[in-house]
Amino acid sequence: MWLVRPAQPDDLDQILAIAGTQCARLSSTLPKQGDALAYKIEQSLASFAGRISAEDDPPRFLFVLENTETGDIAGTAGIDARAGNGQPFYSYRRDALIHASHELGVSRRVEVLYPSHALTDVTLLCSFSIRPELQGTDAFELLSRARILFMADHREWFTPRMAVEIQGVQLEDGSVPFWDSLGRHFFDMDFETADQYSGQLSKTFIAELMPPNPIYVTLLSEAAQEAMGQPHQITVPNFELLQREGFQPGNYLDIFDAGPVLEARTDSLRSLVTSHPMELHGSNEDVGETCLIAAGEREQFRCTLTPVAETLDDKLKVPVATWKTLNRTAGDRVRIAPL
Amino acid sequence: MLVIRPLQENDLDDLYAMAQSAGKGLTTLPADRELLQKKINHARETFNQRIAPEAGLYLFALEDIQRKKTVGISGIQARVGLDEVFYNYRLSVTVNASKELGVHVRTPTLHLSNDMTDTSEICSLLLSDDYKGGGNGLLLSRCRFMYLDEFRKHFSEKVFAEMRGVSDTQGRSPLWDALGTKFFDMEFSEADMLSGLGNKSFIAELMPKYPIYLPMLPDSARAVIGRVHDNTAPALRMLQSEGFNFNGLVDIFDGGPVVEAFVHNIRTVREGMNRHAMVTRKPVNLDVPADERVMVSNRSFRDFRVTTLPIDCIGPDTVSLPPEVAEALQIESGDPVRLAPLKDSGLLTKHSYRSSVSGGASKWQS
Repeated sequence: MWLVRPAQPDDLDQILAIAGTQCARLSSTLPKQGDALAYKIEQSLASFAGRISAEDDPPRFLFVLENTETGDIAGTAGIDARAGNGQPFYSYRRDALIHASHELGVSRRVEVLYPSHALTDVTLLCSFSIRPELQGTDAFELLSRARILFMADHREWFTPRMAVEIQGVQLEDGSVPFWDSLGRHFFDMDFETADQYSGQLSKTFIAELMPPNPIYVTLLSEAAQEAMGQPHQITVPNFELLQREGFQPGNYLDIFDAGPVLEARTDSLRSLVTSHPMELHGSNEDVGETCLIAAGEREQFRCTLTPVAETLDDKLKVPVATWKTLNRTAGDRVRIAPL
Repeated sequence: MLVIRPLQENDLDDLYAMAQSAGKGLTTLPADRELLQKKINHARETFNQRIAPEAGLYLFALEDIQRKKTVGISGIQARVGLDEVFYNYRLSVTVNASKELGVHVRTPTLHLSNDMTDTSEICSLLLSDDYKGGGNGLLLSRCRFMYLDEFRKHFSEKVFAEMRGVSDTQGRSPLWDALGTKFFDMEFSEADMLSGLGNKSFIAELMPKYPIYLPMLPDSARAVIGRVHDNTAPALRMLQSEGFNFNGLVDIFDGGPVVEAFVHNIRTVREGMNRHAMVTRKPVNLDVPADERVMVSNRSFRDFRVTTLPIDCIGPDTVSLPPEVAEALQIESGDPVRLAPLKDSGLLTKHSYRSSVSGGASKWQS
């Protein structure tokens, strides 16, 4: 059975193994270094426990997808309660200016990328990684949406607006067209290095090295222009899932690879709107429509997939095996959402 | 004999012929009769002081007196950027550095600027091919510094010149192709022509206002920023020898450099000296090489005239003029004149001057 739960210190090695198989962009939110990851897990546990207050060091949650039969970790997913985590969060805002001359009878639309901190402090979904063979499966959907169910029961920790950065275009040789046309000139390092720094270091280096002025899109290379707002092939299932969830591409792009930044109103997310709190009861049959089921507050949070035999009024009947996975028992409150 | 004098009504035909043969390079003097007529009118009003000093356009003609033909033109615009907006790019440097990472990157950057606003510009120089050489170009260009010197209150303390930037034989500019065309659907030659017709600020409205980071431009475009067209290299050298220097500004279209100097530092101004005219009946051989001649002006605001004389004509207090030179300058014996070197060799090296002015040049300066 697949289970999503808070990451624990014991998960470290398995998470590192997954992080190593993912492409570069992820390293900014899922460290590939043991000590950095250990710190992230520790911070996540403190966040789940409510020991971190939003003001000084905003909570950051890291979930794992576990195969309960084998104990294997198959993926990770995270939430940063406040994008930037107390520091500025950088994006490019894609905007347009009309350059027109009445006298000459000409008018041209000029696209401009403005450096922006507008998304700073909105709740950010991040750190999503999963074993490639699970892409597009129910487990994949469980891992991504479990976070939203967690938010539903801990709504006060999160903001009304949300965002998620999708990895942008990276070619097979590892080059990133947008980076090569823009960032490289100013950061004087390759994409992977910059991306790792952005995960490890304070964001100060971005403030120091990023060009402070707006960028004319027309001066970028053609490959870079084409890459703007395009998701990396590997992220397409996630990109589509998030859009079904209610996220929409807006005007923001990642500053490094120009991947799209999706935005949503938290209270309009499908998993929030269509999920219900119910009372847990037993069912003898292992049949029924497969649903997401989440239970437990804070560090007790668990989310899994279960067949739902029957729902009656406030009562939900599911197999007892599901109770065990959730660490719950009859009469407890759970949250249920359709797949 | 060649004489500098203010542009006149009857110069139109000669000007038009000159502009036609000059081709596309000279944006300040397009082959357009109506526009040329306007410029002549503007210049006439300027010399006659019928318009505000800051609106002045001082255009000088180089006339071959024997042939009664205008063979060159040069000018000073009293102030730029007052009616319309005067644009340049400033070539500066953006530094991005991170101590933490040991990264220190210098990025050359173009910033749109209006820094030359309210400054006097020397402009519009064009000399007929038949008359090139023999110091004629120097006379045509340097006469303007004598005028600036005499009538400083009409001009800014600093003057500048925009030098023509690099373009190929088809009139294509590498900077325009990399930058201008991205914002403005037009060939360089067309944009250049429009700008000569006074539409430069309209075009500038279409140009990028935010800084341009040069690493984002192709090498071919970066290479021409601040560089002059091969045909303009001699003019640049001449201005440099007068004390003009690149001031960090470049043309927004072709990247040609702007050079500037303070009027009091210009060599022609520093080395000028005053004399009184003495018309002499002694025969004077005017036909001497350029480096043995000096410029002589009649110091008139309305009817400014300059020609050249052999250095030997300079005396301690006077300068000897044959009657035809006095007539060309429209002066008589006793009238004040001002002298300035024509070639870079200067006046101080010449025996006639050295023997007569032992106290140095300073006391001769106005």
